[in-house]
Amino acid sequence: MPASAARPRVPSGLKLLHWFLSGWTVLVFVFLYVPIAVLVAYSFNASRLNVVWTGFTLDWYRRLWNHAPLLRAAKNSLIIASLTTVLAVVLGTVGAWLLHRYRYRAARGIQTLVAIPMVMPEILMGISLLIFFATVGLGLGFTTVIVGHVTFCFPFVLVAVQARLKGLDPALEEAALDLGATPLRAFWLVIVPCLRPAIVAGALMAFTLSLDELIVTFFTTSAASATLPIRVFGMAKVGLNPMLNALSAIFIVATVAFVFFSDYLKKLNR
Amino acid sequence: MKSLHRMLAASLALGAASALSAKEELNLFAWSEYIPQGVLDGFKQETGIEVNYETYASNEELLSKLLAGGGAYDLVQPSDYAAEVMIKQKLLAPLDKAQLANLKNLGPQFRHLPHDPADDYTVPYMTGTVGIVVNTAVVKDPIRGFGDVFQPKFKDRIVVLNDNREIVTWALYTLGVSANAISKENIEQARPIVARWIKLIKVFDSDSPKTALLNGDVDLGVVWSGEAAILWKENKKFQYVLAAEGAHQFIDVLAIPVAARHKAAAHQFINYILRPEVSKLISDEFPYTNPNLEARKLLSPEQLANPASYPAGGKLETFHDIGKLAADIDRLMTDLKSGR
Amino acid sequence: MNAPVRAGPPGDGVGEAMEADDTPVPAAAELDRRKPRLLAWLLLAPLLVWLAGFVVAPTAILFVYSFCERDEVGRVVYHFTWDNYRRVFDPIYLHIFWRSILYAGLTTVICVVIGYPVAYFIARAREEWRHKLLLLVMIPFWTSFLIRTYAWITILKQEGLLNGFLQSLALPVAPLDLLYTPTAVVIGLVYAYLPFMILPIYGSAEKLENAVIEAAYDLGAGPLRAFSAVIVPLTMPGIAAGTLLVFVPAIGMFAITDLMGGAKVPMIGNVIQNQFLQARDWPFGAALGVVFMLMFAVTYWIVQRRGAQMA
Repeated sequence: MPASAARPRVPSGLKLLHWFLSGWTVLVFVFLYVPIAVLVAYSFNASRLNVVWTGFTLDWYRRLWNHAPLLRAAKNSLIIASLTTVLAVVLGTVGAWLLHRYRYRAARGIQTLVAIPMVMPEILMGISLLIFFATVGLGLGFTTVIVGHVTFCFPFVLVAVQARLKGLDPALEEAALDLGATPLRAFWLVIVPCLRPAIVAGALMAFTLSLDELIVTFFTTSAASATLPIRVFGMAKVGLNPMLNALSAIFIVATVAFVFFSDYLKKLNR
Repeated sequence: MKSLHRMLAASLALGAASALSAKEELNLFAWSEYIPQGVLDGFKQETGIEVNYETYASNEELLSKLLAGGGAYDLVQPSDYAAEVMIKQKLLAPLDKAQLANLKNLGPQFRHLPHDPADDYTVPYMTGTVGIVVNTAVVKDPIRGFGDVFQPKFKDRIVVLNDNREIVTWALYTLGVSANAISKENIEQARPIVARWIKLIKVFDSDSPKTALLNGDVDLGVVWSGEAAILWKENKKFQYVLAAEGAHQFIDVLAIPVAARHKAAAHQFINYILRPEVSKLISDEFPYTNPNLEARKLLSPEQLANPASYPAGGKLETFHDIGKLAADIDRLMTDLKSGR
Repeated sequence: MNAPVRAGPPGDGVGEAMEADDTPVPAAAELDRRKPRLLAWLLLAPLLVWLAGFVVAPTAILFVYSFCERDEVGRVVYHFTWDNYRRVFDPIYLHIFWRSILYAGLTTVICVVIGYPVAYFIARAREEWRHKLLLLVMIPFWTSFLIRTYAWITILKQEGLLNGFLQSLALPVAPLDLLYTPTAVVIGLVYAYLPFMILPIYGSAEKLENAVIEAAYDLGAGPLRAFSAVIVPLTMPGIAAGTLLVFVPAIGMFAITDLMGGAKVPMIGNVIQNQFLQARDWPFGAALGVVFMLMFAVTYWIVQRRGAQMA
């Protein structure tokens, strides 16, 4: 049977597979979002102790709006996570490319060192980084926190990008060079676009890890750079305030809305 | 040339003036959720001093961060045994009592405590106890001590603090041994008791044991008085009692580290906290035991009636630092928990 | 086509070597291109400096501490001793190491099984949907960890939503006692690490050309065979990456066992944390950490070598 030119022929087995995959994905998304739904629901809970449902209220949203320290902590978290992601992506992508492109003799050693931050227990990393910073006289604050976060996050980017590099056609770079590009341009204009899915995956992981990072942050922060997890963790003692649910709910709704409306807006602008 | 001199002089004067009028600040390193925002705001309004409030969630975090070389803080808020460690390691500065006129508001039972007998380094902030909380709607038996709590009929209905030293101390109390008389020998004596208890415990939780109780996943437990006080405020069915065999009283104190750069501001803050009306604000927000007797006069009857905030009787003891024995306790508990 | 079909059967031994990272070796004339010259080392310098400053140096500090003692007051005393390492090899701790590895392994396996189809689906979805779906996978984890976990507690507790749901279905099942059990811990672990399996697999599976799969069908393979013989091998780097990014951090995880397991069963992460906090025995904690990291480093080193030897 000749393959159609416009659309690849899809065997019926594949169609079944497609339906199976969609169903499975939906179930997994349900699994991922049920706690989120609960979390959002409880942001309207009248009881201050985030445990039993007693009634509906918008009070927590109002209180959140007025609670400067919490909002400042949230802002710090976003700033730190964004900067961390940028640095982690640069370090991870360039590192993965170089290790793939050139045969360094120390490659295995470097590779192992890169994986160490993933395995090092957070308290060890936190305390040892603090001792290191104290020894070299570096004051605690945004810089030290970001350093800690990047160290902890960039291996994830590197590993993700490496996985994609393994399937990359070596002829690509050569072709670009043959066409007159410098290695740098070849990297930026040919390789990086091919790596984009892995870079996006790595960036998402780095951002997420940084947002939720607690222990390393505790040891490397100052009062000014305190992040949300640090404030949240101490609140457990007096009962996790539903303001935190409200904050999370706002963030979720805002990002999901952004996801769905961003290209609606794009279409409008065309 | 003359104009240059004049410019130099002017800039020097400006520099000096700005140094003098530089905003005083106070670097506070304290428990999160322990100093109400209202208190900090009030302090700033009155004195103009900016408070930089950095937080931790346990004494050990405080000690770790300080010992690893972190931050120059003006005021810290350790518990008694942590303060004792800091005093022994010469990390605390002696207080200038002349600047602390309001010390007289504190009850005499909270002065001259074992961790700081001469009250040279610390000022009590809030105190509490570790005791037994019971959901009396479900548990009808009278519960008076650890023996009553750890009965087979309550299997999987008990919550306790996730604090190794606490648990071993309770076991030792049932043997009639004082909290600070811990030794390698009696740690081993405690072993069979703790081993039996562990099988009955459903949840270990030092951060929020009230959660399991409110959820109805457990019916009784041994928790901080603060947790029990919050439970009682939520529902009077949660009663609190100090164990007959012995109970741990802890005092959280304010202290000034040796390396503090704003000692005067720190003293001002401590004196401010000791005012009855300010101390009342703290009690309003957090139902712990207030050592400030003048402040207690301002509390409502309901606040004073909270059995967890102001428990009756009990053989109270404060903890001392037990040095290397902490490692032995940790090893015992890890072994027992691991071998379930 | 940017995914070359794997090199053929293992070499007949004649002049065929494999690289440490598994790519086919180009002809000898081009070998030189891959040898790092000055520029290559210069470009790698930032990474090396970062590793030296923020990974090697802190690890060295821990290494030094692990040979020290602690004094009565809890300070670290620079007095050389093997004691800490001797204590590490106590059966109690070895047992805990092993348990942590088991939990991490189970979590990883479940994540692969659950996550692979999702990653594959997203990778093959329409262009404009791919990034949206990826974001949707990640967004739940931009909430605070504690709040998220408390939501799970609300669901899993005895009078929780899960039991409420099951009861409403009028099933003849007793209420599930899930919370504060190992099952709850595994649920929590899988929940926390699933995105870190889905994303790397997506990263390497994206743009798996239809043509390759069609070719497999044209050659007579059924869907199952196409899957196992073509699709899985091509996405293997992604699966390997996901395994690394889930298994390794999961071994050191302790917060979930504390919150959802009732802190009843200590993991190696708890034990190490305790040494620095409750027990204030930093040298012992450092020794535990060093052994833990060394075990990983050695295993990882060997796996890299094995990966090179496999055709």
